Amino acid sequence: MSDETHLTAHHDLAPGEEEQHSVGERILGYVVGLGLALLLTATSFFIAGTDLVWQPSIPVALIVLAIAQMGVHLVFFLHITTGPDNTNNVLALAFGLLIVFLVVGGTVWIMSHLNANMPPMDQIMRMQ
Amino acid sequence: MLGKLDWSAIPFDQPIPLVAGAVVLVAILCVLAWVVVKGHLPYLWREWITSVDHKRIGVMYILLASVMLLRGGSDAVMMRIQQAVAYQSQGYLPPEHYNQIFSAHGTIMIFFVAMPFVIGLMNLIVPLQLGVRDVAFPTLNSVGFWLTATGALLVNVSLVVGEFARTGWLAFPPLSELSYSPGVGVDYYAWSLQISGVGTLVAGINLVTTVLKLRTRGMNYLRMPMFCWTTLASNLLIVAAFPILTATLAMLLLDRYLGFHFFTNEAGGNVMMFMNLIWAWGHPEVYILVLPAFGIFSEVVSTFSGKALFGYRSMVLATMAICVISFMVWLHHFFTMGAGPDVNAIFGIASMIIAVPTGVKIYNWLFTMYGGRIRFATPMLWSVGFMVTFIIGGLTGVLVAVPPADFMLHNSMFLVAHFHNVIIGGVLFGAFAGFEYWFPKAFGFRLDERWGKAAFWFTFLGFYVTFMPLYIVGMLGMTRRMQHYDVAAWRPWMIIAAFGMAVLTIGVICQIMQLVVSIRDREALRDRTGDPWDGRSLEWATWSPPPVFNFAFNPDVRGEDAYWEMKAHARQQSFAHEEREYEDIEMPRNSPTGFVCAFFATIMGFALIWHIWWMVILGGIGAFATFVVFAWRDHDEYVIPAEEVARIDRVNIEERRSLVSMAGSV
Repeated sequence: MSDETHLTAHHDLAPGEEEQHSVGERILGYVVGLGLALLLTATSFFIAGTDLVWQPSIPVALIVLAIAQMGVHLVFFLHITTGPDNTNNVLALAFGLLIVFLVVGGTVWIMSHLNANMPPMDQIMRMQ
Repeated sequence: MLGKLDWSAIPFDQPIPLVAGAVVLVAILCVLAWVVVKGHLPYLWREWITSVDHKRIGVMYILLASVMLLRGGSDAVMMRIQQAVAYQSQGYLPPEHYNQIFSAHGTIMIFFVAMPFVIGLMNLIVPLQLGVRDVAFPTLNSVGFWLTATGALLVNVSLVVGEFARTGWLAFPPLSELSYSPGVGVDYYAWSLQISGVGTLVAGINLVTTVLKLRTRGMNYLRMPMFCWTTLASNLLIVAAFPILTATLAMLLLDRYLGFHFFTNEAGGNVMMFMNLIWAWGHPEVYILVLPAFGIFSEVVSTFSGKALFGYRSMVLATMAICVISFMVWLHHFFTMGAGPDVNAIFGIASMIIAVPTGVKIYNWLFTMYGGRIRFATPMLWSVGFMVTFIIGGLTGVLVAVPPADFMLHNSMFLVAHFHNVIIGGVLFGAFAGFEYWFPKAFGFRLDERWGKAAFWFTFLGFYVTFMPLYIVGMLGMTRRMQHYDVAAWRPWMIIAAFGMAVLTIGVICQIMQLVVSIRDREALRDRTGDPWDGRSLEWATWSPPPVFNFAFNPDVRGEDAYWEMKAHARQQSFAHEEREYEDIEMPRNSPTGFVCAFFATIMGFALIWHIWWMVILGGIGAFATFVVFAWRDHDEYVIPAEEVARIDRVNIEERRSLVSMAGSV
């Protein structure tokens, strides 16, 4: 059991596993992450209620901020990197995103077309 | 005190389930009594029930699947007899009973036969093929198995306490909602699937991690045996798809228990959302089942043709393509729901595209056989039978992937014939091939070939006689799940199908006889080499049955077909053997965690079904406490000393060497 794990250990790290960093460095990483996350959250709340920007851009801005928030969490808290030790994690993330995109996107598309073969409601009402 | 549970739950007025239940109960009590009287209980507890050894857990999965196959098979026999006799009459099964039977048949065959069978084979073989000592999370593995067993137990309890769902195997609302199914049937269905679903998810995570993280030296991704690749793909699908099932059933349960309106007709519920979600799980599910079977056939065809698998890389690519595309076709299960031509066309085309990688696989198997020295042992027979049968099933599948054709055939017997064609011809034949092929590895003796071949031919022919008539009655307009009918033209076909079922039953009896005869003659059938089929992958490099640590040394892999290469290498060196330094081996300690956890989960599930809330809390606390106790453990590994490893290994090496020298002298 244990020797294989050692064999592959330096090739690949599980999310949350750390390479040899000093405690100070790690704390700094978490603090930066927390700061960025708070900044993005505060910005979202500010944007949602402001009239300083063009109104239709607000939902787009919120989506962008939300994605940025996810990125911050992935990089600073879940320690996803582009390094070779993280290939599996990045691939798992990509696979997860792909499946979520397919299922959610497909569901929205299917459900919004379900009434395609039905006449509109007012037409049905007129027929009665 | 006991919620909805009282004496009316026992169906005293229905002789069939009561007698069946009584017989099963007596059989179980007899086996238990025998185990206790003979004093096997401590052995069973120590070596099997608490075992975290992937091989033992794999065997238990397959045992569970085999027992449930008999249960699901009896349901099938009852349905075929009913439809053969119920022409212009009620037959012998009242509608409410018949509805439970086809619902139970589907649920059992998919969740408690096909799933445990393929997961059991993966558990048993994948760590051996990867050249490692166990799966990534051995105790979790045991938890996964026992939770699956809990689900199976609850389904069987429904036979005598209360009722099972009458809604079909996917419990479509609004029929499965409280207003139309007020009984406990749907609750039995949903809770047993929720609990066993956790077990399946756990097994999926475990096997993905095992393939990705535990491989022996030199075992690159592109040197892994095909079965490991299909295991990876299938378990990625489990991890991605099973949460959808859990969430969908959770929403249905919220509707039923707490008055929510996810899938109700009123208050803004949307029935069609259930179809959409359940099939977003359901379609990947069929690939979860069939991909491991494809892996088994790849191993079997290459071994019994004496050739490396043709087009290994295209096979890997096809497997991973199926893994992704299987998430893009789910709408073809409900073309008729009204999504309109745009959506239907796209999903129809995607459904046809997924046949392409499958076709690639078929050609690869054919080319592997081409020019090979083929031995038609039982596993190979199942594989060839699979290719013929699966092509027919695949073609009718492509046919119903055409939306206009599907509008004609939706919910007809044609569809029933199609999916039995691919599931029996693909998954079940694959499971049997794997069973015959790896049985010597698991138990140390081969299975009797004559009974095995008889079982194959009866099952193969029985399958055609049973299901080809169903295609025809489907074309003649017969819909599925009919308790009785009045159309004279269907009658002869239903009688032929019932006759086919009898042939299939003979196949099952042959299968059982094969096991009995082989156990009786086990000394004559003993596999002393560990390599009875002249195999190519690492599971044959250790002896049969493998020791608890699998390999005395982690094998070094230098190419595809790792063990074949080792044998060739050994032959060149004229079997020179250098003594190696043995080392201590650390193995995970057995743990009752899985069994205890499942015990409390069973109590909780049963209590939830019958609304016995104090018992729900009791079961929940018990399961959680089990987890906490396990999390606070101090020692979970023990050491097998080097001398012990050396002693076991030397016996085996001597045995092999004597066989080799005997073969050399002839």
